[in-house]
Amino acid sequence: MKKSQDNPPLKVQNLSKFYGSLQAVNQVTFEVQPGEVFGLLGPNGAGKTSIISTIVTLEEPTQGKIEIFGHDVQKDPLTAKSYVGWVPQEVINHGFFNICEIIKFHSGYFGKSLSEEETNQLLKRLDLYNHRHKKVKQLSGGMKRRLMIAKALCHNPKILLLDEPTAGVDIDLRKSLWDFVKELRSQGVAILLTTHYLEEAENLCDRVGFLSHGRILRIGQTSEIVTDLTEKTIELILDRELPELKNSWVQSQKGNEIHLKVPMTKGVFEGVRLAGIDLSHIKDIRVKDGDLEDAFRRVMKEGQQ
Amino acid sequence: MKSQKYLPFFSLLHREISRFFKVAAQTVLTPMINSSLYLLIFGISLGPSIHIEGGISYLAFLIPGLVMMACLNNSFQNSSSSVVGAKFGGDLEDLKSAPLTPQNLIWAYSLGALTRGLIVGSLTFLVGEIFFYVSEGHWLAVQHPLILMVFLVIGSFTFSQLGISVAFWAKTFDQLSAVSGFVLLPLIYLGGVFYSVSNLHPFWQAVSRSNPLLYLINGVREGILGTSDVQMPLAFAVALAGFLVTHALAYWSLKKGSYLRW
Ligand SMILES: Nc1ncnc2c1ncn2[C@@H]1O[C@H](COP(=O)(O)OP(=O)(O)O)[C@@H](O)[C@H]1O
Ligand SMILES: [Mg+2]
Repeated sequence: MKKSQDNPPLKVQNLSKFYGSLQAVNQVTFEVQPGEVFGLLGPNGAGKTSIISTIVTLEEPTQGKIEIFGHDVQKDPLTAKSYVGWVPQEVINHGFFNICEIIKFHSGYFGKSLSEEETNQLLKRLDLYNHRHKKVKQLSGGMKRRLMIAKALCHNPKILLLDEPTAGVDIDLRKSLWDFVKELRSQGVAILLTTHYLEEAENLCDRVGFLSHGRILRIGQTSEIVTDLTEKTIELILDRELPELKNSWVQSQKGNEIHLKVPMTKGVFEGVRLAGIDLSHIKDIRVKDGDLEDAFRRVMKEGQQ
Repeated sequence: MKSQKYLPFFSLLHREISRFFKVAAQTVLTPMINSSLYLLIFGISLGPSIHIEGGISYLAFLIPGLVMMACLNNSFQNSSSSVVGAKFGGDLEDLKSAPLTPQNLIWAYSLGALTRGLIVGSLTFLVGEIFFYVSEGHWLAVQHPLILMVFLVIGSFTFSQLGISVAFWAKTFDQLSAVSGFVLLPLIYLGGVFYSVSNLHPFWQAVSRSNPLLYLINGVREGILGTSDVQMPLAFAVALAGFLVTHALAYWSLKKGSYLRW
């Protein structure tokens, strides 16, 4: 299929979604490439789940379109959906069925019949093998999450949608989930995830989009966004008191203690020197790089205005 | 790992059938005990004092009606409770995110419902046969097996499709039981399960003849006993119309309704 290879795994164009008169998604456009982790970041109610729901056709777009390898999810839903694995924000219950049965049925819905060995391998990888005869209600919160992930992966999707996969999940599991995501990325899976843990997003996402009230306020390479939108904080203790410095990077100067904020593109010593401080006077120095959270705060604040 | 075209549909069908087998006590045993009680109370206890035209015993008259009632009721229960359960747990969202079509869903639910309807219907027939043998000394022979099957199958699909539609739009469990308790059961009871409409006052006869269930139930009666209150071509036409209307309704529900969980 030529179509599938030429087009990006996921392409969201001009997507808007209204619930009655409430606009949950406003003109959102982005793409996710193979082997890329794209993070949709935003506070609760920003519209992250609404975007994901329209991708899996649970909701119809009010405007705009979504393509999966060039297949419109509205016009050609069967082909489009067959590429997608989805981990919903809320755990799905499945009443009477145990893990093995759930995986068997779910892979079947996607036209794949897994051998027992393949199923066991998947369950072992997600630490569910020993619980494979349990029903959902007999599982702990973490196991339920892992089951949702096993379901999403059981048909070898080329696109993985993770809707707040780490909400309410303990640190160990969170870490293993992220390792898992990295592994999938290295296999070429295109991954769209939503989260409000910005530290994790910074570690994991190649690109991010900041979402607020349904609009993408900023989108780009994670590292570029951090560099562009944040500053390096440098706290200096000098061996003497200097006369008052006349430099806009100086945030405060009290006795021999000086706080600077310099652009991320400047090196530490370069920044200090350009602020008019002689490096030989430095007794102690503390540096904190800007991070995604700083960038996010700034964009959200500017977005309010 | 191989990819198969019909696997999505068959997986859902497999799930539907496993679903009611897992709780067979509720889905098979209880309805069967229900039918047996009807047979015992009406057929065995009261039967001898009730006169039916055409020289058949009241017990024999009752058996087809109860078989069809069991089949229709269980078909409706099966698909509607499956859909409502899936709404409640979120499974329906899962199905929507998978490459399954509305037609896949309709037929998987309907064949699951048919399986349960036929099992409970057959068990009801079996109990009826035993009671019949005990009281008459011989087995009740099925006159037209093909007619019997046609009406059972079409009736089951119709009620299953109705179950899908009602469950899809229901906002609570109570709304669902309201439809089954206040609409379907009365229609089934008044559709001539327990009496022959030809014994009724002409006014009530006319009312009964506007109830589509009369035709479904009499189709089964014709199939088993070889006698009925209505003409078979008309009964078949009504059954087919019921199937088509409910099919359209179910399709529209799955196409336009919300798969979001409660
Ligand atoms: N099915 C729905 N009906 C009406 N409003 C909804 C529905 N789903 C979400 N919303 C509203 O849309 C907005 C975005 O919600 P959501 O997409 O869930 O945000 P997020 O996932 O970023 O927290 C919120 O204001 C929410 O209340
Ligand atoms: Mg959400």
